[in-house]
Amino acid sequence: MAGHEEELIDIIAEEALIDRSKLVPSATLEDIGLDSVDLVSAVFAIEEKYGVEIAEDAFARTDTLGDVLAKLEALIEAKKD
Amino acid sequence: MAEPIVATGLGAISALGHDMAETWDAVLAGRSGIEPTLFDPGPRGPPPVTTAAALVKGDGIGALEAALGRRVGSSLDPFAAYALKAAHEALGQAGLLGQPLGARAAVVMGNGIGGMHTLEKAYDKFFGVRVGKIHPLTIPRVMVSAPVSAVAMEFGVTGPVFATSSACASAGHAIAQGASLIAGGLADVAVVGGSEAMASPGGIRSWEGLQATSETTCRPFSAGRDGMIVGDGAGALVLERLSHAEARGARVIAEYCGAGLTSDAFHLTQPSLDGAIAAMRQACAPGGFLEADQVLISAHGTGTPLNDKNEAAAIRTAFGERALRHPVIATKSAHGHVIGATAALQAVIALRAIEEGLAPPILNYLGPDEECAGIDLVLGEPRKISARKLLVNAFAFGGLNVSLAFRR
Repeated sequence: MAGHEEELIDIIAEEALIDRSKLVPSATLEDIGLDSVDLVSAVFAIEEKYGVEIAEDAFARTDTLGDVLAKLEALIEAKKD
Repeated sequence: MAEPIVATGLGAISALGHDMAETWDAVLAGRSGIEPTLFDPGPRGPPPVTTAAALVKGDGIGALEAALGRRVGSSLDPFAAYALKAAHEALGQAGLLGQPLGARAAVVMGNGIGGMHTLEKAYDKFFGVRVGKIHPLTIPRVMVSAPVSAVAMEFGVTGPVFATSSACASAGHAIAQGASLIAGGLADVAVVGGSEAMASPGGIRSWEGLQATSETTCRPFSAGRDGMIVGDGAGALVLERLSHAEARGARVIAEYCGAGLTSDAFHLTQPSLDGAIAAMRQACAPGGFLEADQVLISAHGTGTPLNDKNEAAAIRTAFGERALRHPVIATKSAHGHVIGATAALQAVIALRAIEEGLAPPILNYLGPDEECAGIDLVLGEPRKISARKLLVNAFAFGGLNVSLAFRR
């Protein structure tokens, strides 16, 4: 999880209008109050910024924000290869 | 006799300012919000053009966020954000902020075209960049009912909530419908009005393509007028049953006396005299306005050669030999043509005018035009008026006419 975690959290906070201090990796999506519409908006912004394509079911088995960030990081890293 | 319906709150946002106070100060000072504006279609479009327009200045979304005390970010297209800002101000003046308005409240607001900015950005990606994915919130941002849904959610309105769309008469139909809901017993209070934000790069070109816009400025009823100027913004009113207002101790601004709603069934872009006359006469009937000593008339007054000629003739015919008793204002010369919001923005300004006894002047007037003679234009300086009655006109493409009547 080298480079992008802070940027990704910034985008999620901006798109989902969530207080950034709530966006810690250990928090569950439910705790954060991140619903599916918020998440797709954030995903859209992340796709635009990093030029990655994120499948609709990419977050099917994610529970915490950390899980989501790990998936996103993997996609961004894969794009670099 | 039906119980009176009264206005207890007003709100506005436009090129003249972010609230009623700024708007009123500007029209009294003769300040116009019209200015050369750069419209840039972006790297894939044709070269940017500078066109006269009257857009909300500064940070309109920021003004909404400051009013609400929370962020809205990019969740709303500007046309919905402006509606929410004006509604918040109107409800604040009415003393109705702070608790959910509930099932006896309604929201009816109009707009001409929906979320033009959002749709244009989405289509630029889709057709221009040829990206296969469209932003997931495109539809809820674009839909013509986005503003009323935003207002209902913000203020807890669980009664009748819907949008009206009739081009430049949209807000007029919304105000009339909101009043009808109260008169029909479906609500005690209604947030009504309209909003518009269609001055996107493509939107402004569409207006230019129609050859309805002026290259200089909006000169209602003037010699040398050559078209309208597109603006954006919103106007909102709180209407309620008189007993509801009295029970709350709310200050009554004016009574809503009725509306005239007619259709020309004639032409997509040309007005008809008969439709405009009929709308004004219908609106005037309940309050006896045709026999009144003085009625302030807030004209549709777009500054197009055809509208102003037709409207002047309609006022002369509707009021007959009494036409010259009634001062005519045309505030589009200051706030531009805010399309689906115009009846509401005109109404809130003109309601302040009869409250203050002061009519704001028509701006940019070059001199009399014989085709617009026989009506009493307010020119130069703000004019002291005795009128306690107000008629607001909005005449739309497709021949859809609304006149609204209020009195103090």
